[in-house]
Amino acid sequence: MTLKRTILSAGLAGVMALGMGSIAQAADLIAIITPSHDNPFFKAEADGAEAKAKELGYEALVLVHDDDANKQSELIDSVIARGAKAIILDNAGADATVAAVQKAKDAGIPSFLIDREINATGVAVAQIVSNNYQGAQLGAEEFVKLMGEEGNYVELVGKESDTNAGIRSKGYHDVIDEYPDLNMVARQSANWSQTEAFEKMESILQANPDIKGVISGNDTMAMGAWAALEAAGRDDVIVVGFDGSNDVRDSIIAGGVKATVLQPAYGIAQIAVEQADAYIKNGSASEPEKQLMDCVLINADNASKLETFALTN
Amino acid sequence: MARRGFVTVAVLTVGMVALASLSGCKLIANEEGATTSDGVDIFFDDESFDSDKMAADLWDEQVIPYLNGKAGDFGEVIALVAEDPDAAGERFGYRANPDGKPWTIVARLDGTIVATKLDTRAATVDIDEDGDGTADATVQIGPVIRGTVLRDSLDFVSFGDFTNQIDYAKFGKSLNTLVNDTVLNTFPREGLIGRKVSVLGVFEIDPSDDRPIFTAAEITVVEPSS
Repeated sequence: MTLKRTILSAGLAGVMALGMGSIAQAADLIAIITPSHDNPFFKAEADGAEAKAKELGYEALVLVHDDDANKQSELIDSVIARGAKAIILDNAGADATVAAVQKAKDAGIPSFLIDREINATGVAVAQIVSNNYQGAQLGAEEFVKLMGEEGNYVELVGKESDTNAGIRSKGYHDVIDEYPDLNMVARQSANWSQTEAFEKMESILQANPDIKGVISGNDTMAMGAWAALEAAGRDDVIVVGFDGSNDVRDSIIAGGVKATVLQPAYGIAQIAVEQADAYIKNGSASEPEKQLMDCVLINADNASKLETFALTN
Repeated sequence: MARRGFVTVAVLTVGMVALASLSGCKLIANEEGATTSDGVDIFFDDESFDSDKMAADLWDEQVIPYLNGKAGDFGEVIALVAEDPDAAGERFGYRANPDGKPWTIVARLDGTIVATKLDTRAATVDIDEDGDGTADATVQIGPVIRGTVLRDSLDFVSFGDFTNQIDYAKFGKSLNTLVNDTVLNTFPREGLIGRKVSVLGVFEIDPSDDRPIFTAAEITVVEPSS
């Protein structure tokens, strides 16, 4: 980190000196860039941001980078060319994104990051993220309880370029590792992917038939794992996910996956647009750059209240 | 359980030390095994950040004086929480983000242990504060401490001060570990019912809790004292 930071801050100072001249912009365009909408979590973000942008009188340009940092960079270029007033971004990599957001900043376009952090501050105007550690601890505490504080388990980890994969795993282990009778027999990344989780779970299960639980870094991987377990006749295995998707909600209600953790994705995207609107109007940030939003445990008790990454009353 | 401590600096290469000093980073201990007891590799876990040292450095100098300054007596605090949570939060607590975080509240609690939950590693005692024989608050006595309310109660430490969520999380965990290793480790585990205790601690306003759940910064058995 130290080297990277040193170079980065030296670079920033130079670029900022050159880059603050304003560029003529279209009246009212907000760009909303997320990973692929194949994962309903990202679709909910895009929908939430788009609805809020329209409500506030903006034109919304919705784009996806498919977790490809190069594609993200090209999209940022096109958004700069279109003269967007602000960018709402769920980014394609904590390190790789810094330069892309800096490029937008240099062109006078503020970025409001949602869901995922970047490993730099002072580049984006806001980084509004779920309190993944708090959420992971909630999920892990529920997992520990369901496991009866003992037994063999598997962890499915998310994408390595995403800070959220690290922080959730850390939240899980900071809780689970306090219980010496819980024994992790396999830990693999399935890159947030349902199909990859299905395949990995199949092979993990063959090597470790004596597992009692699976804790997953997100819901799509949890769904993949559950499908593999069910196919193998192992619906006794306890599966816990993270996100709060409608798929996992339905699985919980049907007695499949046992629990997940709701990230208020829709709400976070809307808050980001509100802060972008305030920034566009006032020329300054209304909130501190880094903001955490607490997550909520979802299990059979409250699953029926969950709809599109928000809890109803 | 071995204390996660400062492991030898010798594993650091000379180059890393040079870089650390170049960027003004004062933390050079390599926290081997700080990720998990299984040696699990956590993506983005920057081992040059020594959260245990940060917690230890702040504890006596800043954390304890701050908590003493913020704390109200439990009876007064809980009455205000019931009447006006925001007023209670502003007077006795802190929250980083009104949209996304509940209030943390600092209070001094003196009372009698009326119930215990010791069959879990997340052990707790229930305290009767007003003498009516029923529990008014729950105090976590470890070794597993749930949540990060100690960290979240500090108005002088913010998420934005850290490289990422992982460093921020490590700091929260380190405060809990410090309490566990230096405060809760001497707290008795037997014959607790009926003993009087004095607690300086933090709880989070959560309407779904039956009663406030304290994470203690200080806890002492008042009587009988041994």
